[in-house]
Amino acid sequence: MPAIRSAKTRKPPPDGFDDIEDTLLEFSNKMKDAENASHEGRKKHEMQWPIFQITHQRSRYIYELYYEKEAITKRLYDWLLKNGYADANLIAKWKKQGYEKTKETNFNSTCVCRVPRKQLKEDQEIECVSCGCRGCCSSD
Amino acid sequence: MSGPLPPGWTQHTAPTGHAYYYNAETKHSTYTRPTLQPPPPPIAALTQPLHYNPEQNVISPEFLAATTHHAINYGGHVPSAYQSGYPHQHIQEPRDLRGRGGFRSGRDGFDRRRQLEDRPKSKHTLPGCEPWVLVKTKLGRRFVHNTETNESLWRFPDNVRHGVTEFDRLEREREVGKEGTGANDVPLGTKRQKTEEEMQREDEEALAAELAQEAEKAGEAAEGDMVTVAPRPSFAPAPAVNRGQEAGDSSSEYEEIEVTDDEGEEDGADPKSAEATDNPPAAETGPVEFNEDDIAYQLAAMGADYGLDPGEYDDGNGAEGWEDGAEGLPLTEEDSTALFRDLLDDYGVDPYTLFDRVVEDGQIIEDERYTTLETMRARREVYDAWAKDKMAVLKAQREKQMKLDPRIPYLAFLEQHATPKLYWPEFRRKFKREPEMKSTAVSDKDREKLYREHITRLKLPPSTLKSDLSTLLKSIPLALLNHSTPLAALPPQMLTDIRYISLPPATRDPLIVAYISTLAPPPADGSALSAEEEAAQAKEHVERLKRDQALEERKNRVEEEKRKQERERAHGRGRLREEEREIRKAMVVGKGGLRSYLQEAVADDVSEREERETVVLEPV
Repeated sequence: MPAIRSAKTRKPPPDGFDDIEDTLLEFSNKMKDAENASHEGRKKHEMQWPIFQITHQRSRYIYELYYEKEAITKRLYDWLLKNGYADANLIAKWKKQGYEKTKETNFNSTCVCRVPRKQLKEDQEIECVSCGCRGCCSSD
Repeated sequence: MSGPLPPGWTQHTAPTGHAYYYNAETKHSTYTRPTLQPPPPPIAALTQPLHYNPEQNVISPEFLAATTHHAINYGGHVPSAYQSGYPHQHIQEPRDLRGRGGFRSGRDGFDRRRQLEDRPKSKHTLPGCEPWVLVKTKLGRRFVHNTETNESLWRFPDNVRHGVTEFDRLEREREVGKEGTGANDVPLGTKRQKTEEEMQREDEEALAAELAQEAEKAGEAAEGDMVTVAPRPSFAPAPAVNRGQEAGDSSSEYEEIEVTDDEGEEDGADPKSAEATDNPPAAETGPVEFNEDDIAYQLAAMGADYGLDPGEYDDGNGAEGWEDGAEGLPLTEEDSTALFRDLLDDYGVDPYTLFDRVVEDGQIIEDERYTTLETMRARREVYDAWAKDKMAVLKAQREKQMKLDPRIPYLAFLEQHATPKLYWPEFRRKFKREPEMKSTAVSDKDREKLYREHITRLKLPPSTLKSDLSTLLKSIPLALLNHSTPLAALPPQMLTDIRYISLPPATRDPLIVAYISTLAPPPADGSALSAEEEAAQAKEHVERLKRDQALEERKNRVEEEKRKQERERAHGRGRLREEEREIRKAMVVGKGGLRSYLQEAVADDVSEREERETVVLEPV
């Protein structure tokens, strides 16, 4: 039987976690609000959109801290990924050319935010089913 | 108001009703009644340009009203001598030169200048210069006032100036919430002052050239109307002086605001007044020759009467002669970026937060420097760059800093709260909300161990504890603990030791102090690095002050532009009112007017009828 890890016995997070703790706490509060938001009058997939957005923001925050601002250590970064603060698969996408800012890991297909503005028709209203993106052409 | 005047002095009445006194020999005019004592030496006169009626409270509104027109001339309209309290009464106003735009010809009492009057707003004590207080006015100007001698000066005397700088520094610190930036203030103040003066001089020259040209053009027209001037107090307030001043008055605090009042300015200590009084010293009371400067001055005054700026009336050299307005912002991109970074630094923004969050908090939005960058995208970019740098700096600092042992705060906490009466579980339950008990840096196991150890030691006799403490003290090397170590900065090796907290501070501290006093001074260390760092810091400080100044200038320009617009609007409104009145006058037909009109008509009718009758009668 594995040891039960309570708050009392947990290992302390790596150095530098104190700095970003407040921001991460804010994200988790937002996430809780999004999870508990009322679903009335909204489509089932629409309910997921804020959750995708928050996940994206939080992953982006950690990604930038590690890769662009180089403010956190490898150890802390790994710890954050392991503990679910950031989505490793999403970050893996951002490292690919052409996917630098994509909003989500669109399974087996491409998010509309990767479709160039030119290729969209004039009055085409598209919202990505997963994340609600209307085509931000983020990597144009 | 008694006693005869000394010989050479004559009494006159200013247009405002104040009596003033004029000495034709020294060409000195003053509001204070001269007595038979010798007149004050010129140095005193220089430092007391506003020696105005010292019996009454000096910062009374009349005082300011009387000085405002001289001291500052907002938005470039010129202090006309005949309307402010300037004793210059013999000039005839050239009324016939006014067009119909002269809306403030005195009929309606609509006086724009009334709105610009200044009032004292707040009073501040100056640290170190006791009888002097700094008074700020409604329009943001400042002067010092001596509460004992009731003396008020726009120009800060030397002994007071450092008090003012000190005051400013304190104020700035209070604003910024940061300490220790005042080191370079005094040299900066003088430097600023210098640049300010240079600016003024340039301005002045440009304006003088412009006015001279204008004078040539309109000279003949003006000369016919203007009567020669009788006793002329010793200066001509060249408009340039006032303009330069106006540009600078709120931007630099230490600048010597020149108050062009009519006394004590003749000693030529100021390049400006020297330049301004270049007309030849005239005979005592005889008519003064009217030279080009005077004409230019009169023209400018007329322009002010019309509510025009020097740039508004059409002169040959157009816009380049006078001050370039707020159209071109003086801040470069670098400056604005740096200012924005300063802003972030000053507000102590956490670089680990998101930019959106910082903006949402709204602290930085209120600041002037927030607007130096115009787009949100630019701000975000600057923020990201700043955050990156800041994080790197923090990281370096942390590495450099000796790592604070997490046990130190916990042990200090134990020292305060631990008693042998509580078992560890009880203690933990009681203080579980405290940050020392919650922190993850020390594991729970360690906490418990330290607690138990501490409690067992508390039960030991004090003599054992004292001997333990002395062995601890002796074990610490001289580099860490020496003669110059203060009690508040003991080495961490001591603070983390359980023997250190076993004794209560009341008995422990004297022991430590006594031990430290027996130690040798610290072994010599090189501090070359710190000198280098200091130089870098000083450089940064200077750069930063420069940027702040640029920002201040920009602000001033914007304000000036605003004022100008306001004035134009007021002018337009006045003109509109005038026109409306004229139209109304034309529309109204008085009773007598109507009757006369009717009578005229009737008379016409009668005469016509008579004519007709005669015509009719003739054939009969």
